[in-house]
Amino acid sequence: MLAAHLLVGALLFALGLVGFVTRRNLIIIFLCTEMMFQGIILNLVAFGRYPLEGPPTFDGQVFSLFLIAVAAAEAALGLALVVLLYRHRGTLDAGAWTTLRDE
Amino acid sequence: MPILLILMLVLGAVGLFLALPGGRADLSRLGLLVLAIGAALLVAGLTQQLAGEPGQALFAGCSLVALLAALRVVTHRKPVYSALYFVLLVVAVSILLVRMQAEFVFGALLIVYAGAILVTYLFVIMLAQQARPAPYDTRSREPLWGCLAGFVLLTQVAAYVYRRPASEQAAVLPRVGGDAILNVATPLLTHYVVGLEIVGVLLLAALVGAIAIARRPAATADEGED
Repeated sequence: MLAAHLLVGALLFALGLVGFVTRRNLIIIFLCTEMMFQGIILNLVAFGRYPLEGPPTFDGQVFSLFLIAVAAAEAALGLALVVLLYRHRGTLDAGAWTTLRDE
Repeated sequence: MPILLILMLVLGAVGLFLALPGGRADLSRLGLLVLAIGAALLVAGLTQQLAGEPGQALFAGCSLVALLAALRVVTHRKPVYSALYFVLLVVAVSILLVRMQAEFVFGALLIVYAGAILVTYLFVIMLAQQARPAPYDTRSREPLWGCLAGFVLLTQVAAYVYRRPASEQAAVLPRVGGDAILNVATPLLTHYVVGLEIVGVLLLAALVGAIAIARRPAATADEGED
């Protein structure tokens, strides 16, 4: 029921988080954010299908449709930036871009 | 919160630490094995909670496939394989959505994610392909702290989810009748119509921005650097 779906969603989100902080390839980092979106979509739909009170609603599904659109926009912009950065330095290593870091 | 769940999360964190590239190179296969066992046990435990609801086997199979694919996305050393495992993850998640009567989101997820977004990812990965595995793919950054952060987050979420006894949690509800598309389209086009318009504007802005960024020649991007 609700708890099982929430836990699967949380697992996907946590795996995406771990990948986001540990992997160094820019493209894999973006893939991991998309994985977190998958967990969230699962949670939203599960909350709509198994509400704590009242009948099932479809608002969660509407929210996940918005989320898909935002993810598409993010992927388009993010990948354009990654291509630009790759042409710039010839590497996908996130560690090669530390000029904005506070030393 | 069940103690077994905590044990499985610990198992998962240790396995993930071993399996991450560069964590412990020789032990990555052992880590994957530990992760697979942990995921299977966890899914078996979760499926038991679904007792009395149809589609139990579907939930078990799809969530197991989704978790294993997600693990491979995070741990695989070759980006192309990570992207392909992500396609598998999207397919498994969308089948889980069908089980929850979200047929339209299922179609949208498959078409937009597996169809459009992942193909773009594959194009970019192939554009930036290296002859041999790059050092940034074979060594991960601080795998210990990353796994620890994920574990702490998960235990917090799990403790919150399971703070109510199972009997108080949402009951099994019957399927909602009516047309699958109409059920989603009605709130989308009435109650959330302003949001829909804003999302349209957002997509247009992202399109313009992506073209503006990608068309920028590398030479001018270098100005003001070094």
